[in-house]
Amino acid sequence: MDSILTILIFFPAVAGVLGFVVHKDSIRAYGISVAVIEFALSLVLWMGYDPNVSGMQFMESIPLIPEFGISYLLGIDGISLFIIVMASFFTMIGIATLGETKRIKDMIITLLFLQMTMIGVFASLDAILFYVFWELSLVPMLYIIGAWGGPLRIYASVKFFLYTFTGSLVMLVGMLFMAYFYQQATGVWSFSLLEWYRLILPESYQLWLFAAFFFGFAIKVPMFPFHTWLPYAHGQAPTIGSVLLAAVLLKMGTYAFVRFSLPLFPDASVFFMMPIAVLAIIMIIYTAMVAYAQEDLKQVIAYSSVSHMGVIILGTFALNVEGIAGSVFLMIRHGVVSGALFYLVGVIYDRRHTKMMSEFGGLASVMPRYATIFGIMMMASVGLPLTINFVGEFLSLLGFYKQSHIMTLIAGIAIIVGAIYMLAAYKKVFFGDVTKEENKNLPDVNKREMLALIPLTIVAIWLGVYPKPILEPISNSTESIVQLMHDKAITQEAKERIPNLAEEMTISRTSTQEAH
Amino acid sequence: MEMYLYIALFAPFVGSLFAALFSASPKTLIAGIVPSALLFVSFLSSLVLLIHAMDGNTVHVEMMTWMAAGDLYIPYGFLVDQVSATMMMVVTIVSTIVHIYSIGYMDHDKSFNRFFAWLSAFVFSMMILVMSDNFAGLFIGWEGVGLCSWALIGFWYHKESATWAANEAFIMNRIADLGMLIGIFLLYWSTGSLQYDTVFAQIGSVEIAVVTTIGIFLFIGAMGKSAQFPLHTWLADAMEGPTPVSALIHAATMVTAGVYLVVRANPIYDLIPDVGYFIACLGAFVAMFAASMALVNRDMKRIIAYSTLSQLGYMFVAAGLGAYWVALFHLMAHAFFKALLFLGAGNVMHAMNDELDPFKMGGLRHTMKGTFIMMTLASVALAGIFPLAGFFSKDLILEVSFIEHHYILYTMLLLTAGMTAFYSFRLVALIFHGEERYKLFGFHPHEAYKYMLIAMSPLALLAVIAGAFKMTYFEMVTKVLPMTEYHIHNPTVYWIMTIGTQLFVIACILYAYRKYEVAKEDKKMEENIGYKILWNQYYIPHLYDEYVAKPYQELSRIFWKDIDMKVVDATVDMVANVFYKTGEKTRGMQNGNLSSMLQWMVVGLVVMLALAAVYSIATSLVAG
Repeated sequence: MDSILTILIFFPAVAGVLGFVVHKDSIRAYGISVAVIEFALSLVLWMGYDPNVSGMQFMESIPLIPEFGISYLLGIDGISLFIIVMASFFTMIGIATLGETKRIKDMIITLLFLQMTMIGVFASLDAILFYVFWELSLVPMLYIIGAWGGPLRIYASVKFFLYTFTGSLVMLVGMLFMAYFYQQATGVWSFSLLEWYRLILPESYQLWLFAAFFFGFAIKVPMFPFHTWLPYAHGQAPTIGSVLLAAVLLKMGTYAFVRFSLPLFPDASVFFMMPIAVLAIIMIIYTAMVAYAQEDLKQVIAYSSVSHMGVIILGTFALNVEGIAGSVFLMIRHGVVSGALFYLVGVIYDRRHTKMMSEFGGLASVMPRYATIFGIMMMASVGLPLTINFVGEFLSLLGFYKQSHIMTLIAGIAIIVGAIYMLAAYKKVFFGDVTKEENKNLPDVNKREMLALIPLTIVAIWLGVYPKPILEPISNSTESIVQLMHDKAITQEAKERIPNLAEEMTISRTSTQEAH
Repeated sequence: MEMYLYIALFAPFVGSLFAALFSASPKTLIAGIVPSALLFVSFLSSLVLLIHAMDGNTVHVEMMTWMAAGDLYIPYGFLVDQVSATMMMVVTIVSTIVHIYSIGYMDHDKSFNRFFAWLSAFVFSMMILVMSDNFAGLFIGWEGVGLCSWALIGFWYHKESATWAANEAFIMNRIADLGMLIGIFLLYWSTGSLQYDTVFAQIGSVEIAVVTTIGIFLFIGAMGKSAQFPLHTWLADAMEGPTPVSALIHAATMVTAGVYLVVRANPIYDLIPDVGYFIACLGAFVAMFAASMALVNRDMKRIIAYSTLSQLGYMFVAAGLGAYWVALFHLMAHAFFKALLFLGAGNVMHAMNDELDPFKMGGLRHTMKGTFIMMTLASVALAGIFPLAGFFSKDLILEVSFIEHHYILYTMLLLTAGMTAFYSFRLVALIFHGEERYKLFGFHPHEAYKYMLIAMSPLALLAVIAGAFKMTYFEMVTKVLPMTEYHIHNPTVYWIMTIGTQLFVIACILYAYRKYEVAKEDKKMEENIGYKILWNQYYIPHLYDEYVAKPYQELSRIFWKDIDMKVVDATVDMVANVFYKTGEKTRGMQNGNLSSMLQWMVVGLVVMLALAAVYSIATSLVAG
């Protein structure tokens, strides 16, 4: 158990390298077994995780460049744990249900490398290590879009790469400055996130560093107005690429906000809270309206994905346990639901080689099982209670309500506009009469596709009905972040905005004592 | 008792899952019978719980945790007190009857199995709504009934109008749900909990301004579900769904959820009588407004839908004026006779091949005797004639507004009572009396299956006798609701009012009969401007379409094509192009020619020196 994180990160990579010598006909079986083992390992990680401990677990540390304090530092808490499990889960079902693909061997090896970088990002606690994985993750995705994508694939993949890469460079500069400030304050270099947490920076420094990190993260999320690479990437990517991009890669941005921006710069977080909330609200409403105007089903899902990311950002910047725990939970939900929706679009694309909604209509009677699963996922996306989305959305908005009533009221429009574009799209595709001759005999979802969709459906409902198994560890880890932020905050406003949990606990303890 | 609670709650759910198992297979009778039987079980359990509640006991269980983060703790908790027991009775009685009726009504439909899956799922959601012991649980049921209503309005999904109406209903409700959600957030941050008992215990110590806001936002939620103005248009359009759905969801149960919410949250509304007064005024307005549209409509189901809307207005008047038990009583009585009316309308539709225009019917009393009797009974009850249910519940609301000295509200409600009587009997006269006009259109009406009529008969019985339970009911619910008796102390005033109202209503009925016994198309009346306004439903649907839906669509398109593509994305590409073009343009510099390289070197040197000079001058100036 000591080096399980290392194994989780490098097992797929090693398996990927070995994959080059595996014969083409057996690569699928090989890929599936690797992914299943990896998923099983991530479950072992979950089993071994102690939900009552709020700090980092499974820590590993090997110095890499001691002079600069760069080390191979790994560790997870309740926030990263579930994103890692989700990443390995999606890679598994992605590989297992891969349809007819040309150069399938290259695809599977690429996916395994992608998995390494994804897990690496979420397990790293050293800024440089984090940065390395962060950037490395671009390469397999670039390849997936560029090699297996649609007609505009080169434009889309280059745009994706350069755009996010530019953002990350600014973030790297921020990281270097942060290490420099740390060296100034303590006399030693360090890139360890845990040591950075202890550093209290003056507010003016915080603002600049926050902005540098923000630029990198915001493009990745993507936040309005940096979102335009995403529709192209989704529009051109093959199904598996879109699924992983939406489910896992986008989470890097929101995760980094929770991991870096909030605990490192609490005062700056409070300072920028309102402007960011405004951006988040624009994201929610504006992209939802853009989604409504789309003619291509996949673009509807792509823009809806941006819209939902807005709620995640809003929850994160609620800066209290309810909001942050809600937003982390939403990251999981966004993975499950958006991943599933992209997969569902892939199902119909495989059959008809078009994603235009006007080409469909009346599919509910032709493909009832498909319509049912799509319907469940649609309702999960709309945020019906007892589906996974509601829990996260409710908590995020509830959290932000504490900070601003009026902004939450506006952000809450999400539940209206979300319903509008989703129901409209569903109506166009599934309801009405079957008008096109080609659609009359479309085969329903097959067994292979069921293999991916059934587990996702179960998760989407299970976590909506009973979110406790993952909400509890998330909430515990969030509490320690919030407490850290409160303790570190220097401005009066930040002290007020970020709740002091320790104090609340003592108050409630004394009041119970008084009651006795 | 806990066992009965769980049975009452989960039996419909099991039924729904059972029917859903068959949803992909062709019609099987068992998919209708099993859910109906399970609902009957649920009804029996509710009955046991009701008797238990009548003795003044409540059952409160906490099943498990739902959400917990930070200080927030929301369990799946269920509470059966006198109010929820009443609601459970209404829900289970009407839904059992509607289920059994539907076995006959949906007989020829190929999606028979799917229908029962959704119908039972609806009952389950409704039970969650009324049984939850906290606002979040109520919200689960709230959205759950919305989902089922969406699926059932759009049940015939190949019809464009049906799916359109389904989406409209869902989205309208969502608008209101946002209000409700905000109310819930505010409750949580001001009382620290969402459990009814904690919230109601704490609410007294919350600032009155905050309580007012909470009351307003919760009521916005209620406005959506109960289709109050201006969110009312979805209810009439919802009539696109199968008629049993209209009977169960859009008359008896779901639309009354808003009234239930106000009744349930009575400790909140008691603190804010101003908001209550507003609710009452809106209710009276809607009562009149909806009734006026029913006067001229020529669609049988829409007339009944408007009548439902109007009666919901009555309930809100009572609830707003603090007469919570009266509101709940009218809710119950109304559920019985309105469901009966809808089911009767369903029989007529079946007989007439889904024709909805009553002007094409007439004289059906000969062929459809059973339906005729039941629909007439329901209409008499609706009109509030002694001794049927409506007399006890509706006239009580009139008395409440009179006793509370809201004479304008009283006058409005009295006029509405007249209108109610008129449009109800206009419908009865057009359908069942007069000449048999349907022959002109080639219809061959027939009475519904016998067992459908038998299934309806308990409702007919309840529509007649529900009023007799008034005192028992009063003693029961006032264990949790404020106990205010509404009596007019002056006997002369009381008798004048009661008899006067009765005479007025009977006059309206007779007028309706006289006017519509012989159905003439009254061209002169149709030219009238007032008629046109009513006929077009005050142009409100048109207004929404023209000034909300279309601009939204247009704006979305502009956001996509003009802003996202031409501004946001173009800026990104422009930045990229600047770099690209600069590289392209300056590539000539690196031509490898020694003399031009030297020239550039000189240029570079000059620039550097100039910069150094400027820098040193600037620093010396700053220092100086």
